[in-house]
Amino acid sequence: MSSRSSSVVTSRSGIPLKAAYGPDDVPDSLRRHAGTLPGDAPYHRGGFPQGYRTKPWRIFQLSGFGNPEDENERIKFLLKHGETGFLMEHDRNTADHLYNVDHPDVQARREDVGQTGAVMQSVREVAICLDGIPIESTYGHAGGAVVQHAPFALAAYWTVARRRGIPLAELGGTGQSDFFLTYLGCVTKQQIPTAAGLRLNADIIEFCSRHAPKWVPVSIAGYNGGDTGLNAWQELGAVIANAIEYLDEVQRRGHLDMATAAYRVGGVNFRTTMDFFEDIAKLRAARKLWHDLLRDRYGITDERALRLRIHIVTAGSMMTYAQPFNNIVRGTMMALSAVLGGTQSLGVSGYDEAISIPSEHAHQMSVRIQQILQHETNIGAVTDPLGGSYYVEALTAEMAERATGFAAQIAAQGGFLATLDSGWLHARARDNQVAWQAAEEEGRQTVVGVTDFRDDHSPFEIDGFPGVNDAYEVARSRLEDVRRERHEVGAHAALKSLEQACRGTDNIMPKMLDALEAEVTLGEIGDVYRSVWGDWQTPELA
Amino acid sequence: MVARALRDGGFHVIMGGMLTGQEIVRAAVDEDVDLVGLNVGGHVEVVVRVIGELRAARPDLPIFAGGVLPPSSCRRLSALGVETYPPGSSLEDIVEAARRLTSQASA
Repeated sequence: MSSRSSSVVTSRSGIPLKAAYGPDDVPDSLRRHAGTLPGDAPYHRGGFPQGYRTKPWRIFQLSGFGNPEDENERIKFLLKHGETGFLMEHDRNTADHLYNVDHPDVQARREDVGQTGAVMQSVREVAICLDGIPIESTYGHAGGAVVQHAPFALAAYWTVARRRGIPLAELGGTGQSDFFLTYLGCVTKQQIPTAAGLRLNADIIEFCSRHAPKWVPVSIAGYNGGDTGLNAWQELGAVIANAIEYLDEVQRRGHLDMATAAYRVGGVNFRTTMDFFEDIAKLRAARKLWHDLLRDRYGITDERALRLRIHIVTAGSMMTYAQPFNNIVRGTMMALSAVLGGTQSLGVSGYDEAISIPSEHAHQMSVRIQQILQHETNIGAVTDPLGGSYYVEALTAEMAERATGFAAQIAAQGGFLATLDSGWLHARARDNQVAWQAAEEEGRQTVVGVTDFRDDHSPFEIDGFPGVNDAYEVARSRLEDVRRERHEVGAHAALKSLEQACRGTDNIMPKMLDALEAEVTLGEIGDVYRSVWGDWQTPELA
Repeated sequence: MVARALRDGGFHVIMGGMLTGQEIVRAAVDEDVDLVGLNVGGHVEVVVRVIGELRAARPDLPIFAGGVLPPSSCRRLSALGVETYPPGSSLEDIVEAARRLTSQASA
């Protein structure tokens, strides 16, 4: 991001930048590690010495819309064009709130249904969505971005796998179950309280550690904090604070050894933005802070756990509504930042992001950007190519220091969950949004095509992708089919059993799997949660 | 952000959150508002329905809309007399529109 003021030049997060950097700018905290190579602790230079030579980053795009058949077709399209993992989105009107499609709130916005993913109220719909996709050999993201939705989404995906004869122990993939999205990014109605959410995540972490060793149980998504307004070091600090909350809970429960738990939790997500070097520094700092946290707070020495794995999604909020073709360049720059920062997997936001869900073409471009970087630029030949740059090392140290300070601020208020419950984190994000908007409107921050250079000679209009029109009706009829055809007594018994697990302390995942096998539906599970835990109180922002 | 800009511009803002059409109409009537701003995050036809319900209850109430609005959705809403402010619109323009729409309505 360029600043037009010549007096003080700062990064997007407000770090003052010098016109040039030299050896004295690299603080002792990193100079001590100057001789380290990628693969050496504290891993700021990368977790793995061979980097992309032995493991290219995974091309991993969010996808989903329409009916389960439409979503299935789009996933196959992306895989055919070179995606190397897939993310299935569930319709947010139903999934986020655990409503079936006949819930009054969903009926009230029925045309929206299927705009953000396919409706999946039972295993049947998930099976359609995954039809013909080789999940035994393709890394899949089962959905379940919102915390209360994750146990359902995971169990449904695993049930499809089991029916295909794929042992859970051999299934690779991930879910999300993200506190940032649930309690900060999209503060919506009817979410379970944060403490109940923490319990569910701990259940998932423990269950996967025992039964699904190749599955990444939960993925802390700094992205959702960042795109809500947290700046780079706040995003990183909050991710660390979030990890502490999960790991402390696992430690308190005492069922898992901490190295195993930390390895399970150590696949996190960040965003990259248009501040190119700041985000490279953020990823390098993230690996170092992860290593330091595990070593110092939990006494972990297992190298596998100490190496943080990172997934990046390029910031959707950087994509402009005006002159959408410019976003192809923005996507490329943010992808490059992610790659130079050493990400393990990457999703590039669509050039039509500000207009609609991605069209097939926008999706294909997101894949092509990554393929060009992987195959044409030789960029993956050398790991951490910016290591040793005075500027990047200094910025990495600064980022680590500021993020550590922010994590300490969160800890001082009782921890990550407490700052979500109180609205403190929301206020930080809101303040930044206001400041950034003001910078644009007052001419201190240029956004090409928006604040300046507004003449557009695009040969045609990008009008967004419309999705389908019948998702609501199809989902209604499928819900009726399930209700008519399932074994009612068995379904009710399984639901009752799930409710007992929720009220007690046993891991809910075995009961969730039983419930989905018995064709219990999403909305019924939501009703159980609501009766057991009630709703989270959305914080009032000052 | 928009709410904050409007408050700074002297408006009393009632934030609805994630409401259904019926809830929006009820709030508009109960609070006797001068203007409704719809934040669109999904299909435009949901908004078109809400506009119809609002107009049935309060025929002269001005309405404007922002959010994720592809060009065709902007045209659809403009045809219904609803001003649109897609991403990239300045807060200044939005506050200005709120002033204009409320003063026209009360004139």
